[in-house]
Amino acid sequence: MTVAAGIGYALVALGPSLTLFVSVISKKPFLILTLLSSTLVWLISLIILSGIWRAFLPLNSKTWWPLAILIFTSVAFQEGLRLLFWKVYKRLEDILDAFADRVSKPRLYLTDKMQIALAGGLGHGVAHAVFFCLSLLTPAFGPATYFVDRCSQIPFFLVSAIIALAFVTVHTFSMVIAFNGYSEGNKVDQVFVPSVHLAAGMMTLINFASGGCIIGIPLLFLMAILTLMHCGRMVWRRLTENQRQGNS
Amino acid sequence: MESSILESIGQEIIGVMSPVSLCMLLVVLLVYSLSPSNPFSSSSSTPIRTAANLVYLENPSDTAAEKLEGALLNALVFVILIAIVTFVLVLLYYYNFTNFLKNYMRFSAFFVLGTMGGSIFLSIIQHFSIPIDSITCFLLLFNFTIVGVLSMFSGGMPIVLRQGYMVSLGIIVAAWFTKLPEWTTWVLLVALALYDLVAVLAPGGPLKLLVELASSRDEELPALIYEARPTISCNEGNQPSSLGLLVGGVSDSGSVELQAVSNNNVHRDGSENHRSPEHAAIQVRRLENVEGERNRDEGERLPLVGHSSERYLSDGNSSEYSTVVRNRESEIVVDEEMSPLVDLLGIDNEREQVRSDGMGDSVAASRGLGCTLILLSVCRRALPALPISITLGVVFYFLTRLLMEPFVVGTATNLMMF
Repeated sequence: MTVAAGIGYALVALGPSLTLFVSVISKKPFLILTLLSSTLVWLISLIILSGIWRAFLPLNSKTWWPLAILIFTSVAFQEGLRLLFWKVYKRLEDILDAFADRVSKPRLYLTDKMQIALAGGLGHGVAHAVFFCLSLLTPAFGPATYFVDRCSQIPFFLVSAIIALAFVTVHTFSMVIAFNGYSEGNKVDQVFVPSVHLAAGMMTLINFASGGCIIGIPLLFLMAILTLMHCGRMVWRRLTENQRQGNS
Repeated sequence: MESSILESIGQEIIGVMSPVSLCMLLVVLLVYSLSPSNPFSSSSSTPIRTAANLVYLENPSDTAAEKLEGALLNALVFVILIAIVTFVLVLLYYYNFTNFLKNYMRFSAFFVLGTMGGSIFLSIIQHFSIPIDSITCFLLLFNFTIVGVLSMFSGGMPIVLRQGYMVSLGIIVAAWFTKLPEWTTWVLLVALALYDLVAVLAPGGPLKLLVELASSRDEELPALIYEARPTISCNEGNQPSSLGLLVGGVSDSGSVELQAVSNNNVHRDGSENHRSPEHAAIQVRRLENVEGERNRDEGERLPLVGHSSERYLSDGNSSEYSTVVRNRESEIVVDEEMSPLVDLLGIDNEREQVRSDGMGDSVAASRGLGCTLILLSVCRRALPALPISITLGVVFYFLTRLLMEPFVVGTATNLMMF
């Protein structure tokens, strides 16, 4: 629907992440590198998943339970990858701390660690948005638009952009929650992240029913807001604890 | 609170990756906007005969075997040409023909910016129907070219201007490369990666000789250098660290120039002629940190190739880099960068495919660049940077195209995402 609409859809999906990038991540080169690495990791996970599922495609889109299994396996795989990401990050943290000692600078602050987690999560989110939304967006720059049968009220591009926005939020902040949960050993956080991811994935299944996107997408955004709130609360708690520790 | 190490780590890598990424992005935009809107117009099908096309002109109606054979021959001829020119450069450098090299480099830069840049400007003007008359256009182009030559080869110019011209040189040559046919592009890419591997690592390799000559004379390497001067951090001491990037330009009459610009105070020029419309860019990156290392690297991207449809829209450009790291005070890293190749691929449905392929590709390629940089700091010797990035790019491109496309498009059009 013309260049303006195309750019609009792209910004709907990636606007907040662009803001985050410019304000937080672009200032520190290491965070940019983290973002790129996590994007690559997500891409690799997607390739592996599609390799596994290639034999079963194209799926029969009449029944919903193969799709449910697909989403379940994909989410499980990605959560496993998140754990791997965490292990790599631990090792990286040790290397960085050793480097800091060598150049006699302070070790990584709590905010630094959270920023690295944020960059990692943002990488995942941006990868999701790029591969699920932007890659399909090219026709939107042309003169026409496209509607899907199941969600015929709004153009397909807009729907995918909105869903991508929700998922970007979920990915970004659940990485922060997850890293914090792993480092503190907090079971609630550790369980929260996979369940939210799974729930969000399953919500998109609701889109499968005709006219389902009217219900599915607001629920998806509910998940995103839930993630945001939980992350905010957790960060606040940790920072105030840290502050108190520093002062005492 | 003292500043944490997170502020400054990885600055050098980003300083090199950002112009490369910017170049890639701009090339994609340029080619995309200049592509004719009618997929079936015949104007884009006339092939240009260049040095990369000397032996075999690809015809869409040839069989796969013919295309492969022709592409291999093309690539072979091209690599031989590049090797000959590199050897000529080494000889010239060895016999200290510095004046000749310097002047020829200036002429080449002028020529490339003028003619190839000029033709791109003309197509832009034509495509967007910009109302400008020929005299103004000529004057502007002339100014652009002269300022480019001045900024690249003499001091006293703002560093941003020089960086901008380096990037635009890369863009110009990249856009030129998009005119190459598909099979030739792929085979050429792989061939250049292999050549790079040999030229830098093998004992008789021309690049290795060049670097050894330069370091034995304690001079700058003859090449175009992109300098990215990061902010001077407190542990750098008095000397500002600089990252150099070499970019060579190619004129369409077939002269490739590798121009050297020394950083800091000394200016030295070298040039090399290639009788090929190939763009060879040498990237030199210098990094003077506490350990006294210098690295060079370049980014690359790989072309995406489309399907049987006539029109192509692909994002891809390739630049090869070889990195040479010297473990001395003044270490020089030379990277050879091949100009980006961008082809046009795709129609409608295939455009989505191409898009995600391109993005997966560029992500992988930039990581290839990062890996090469890390490998540099580990190995501390001359390393060809191209092979890693090219391998990663090719692998990822084909993986995304074969595996990921049906999966992602299938789930996304059903509005099912995770």
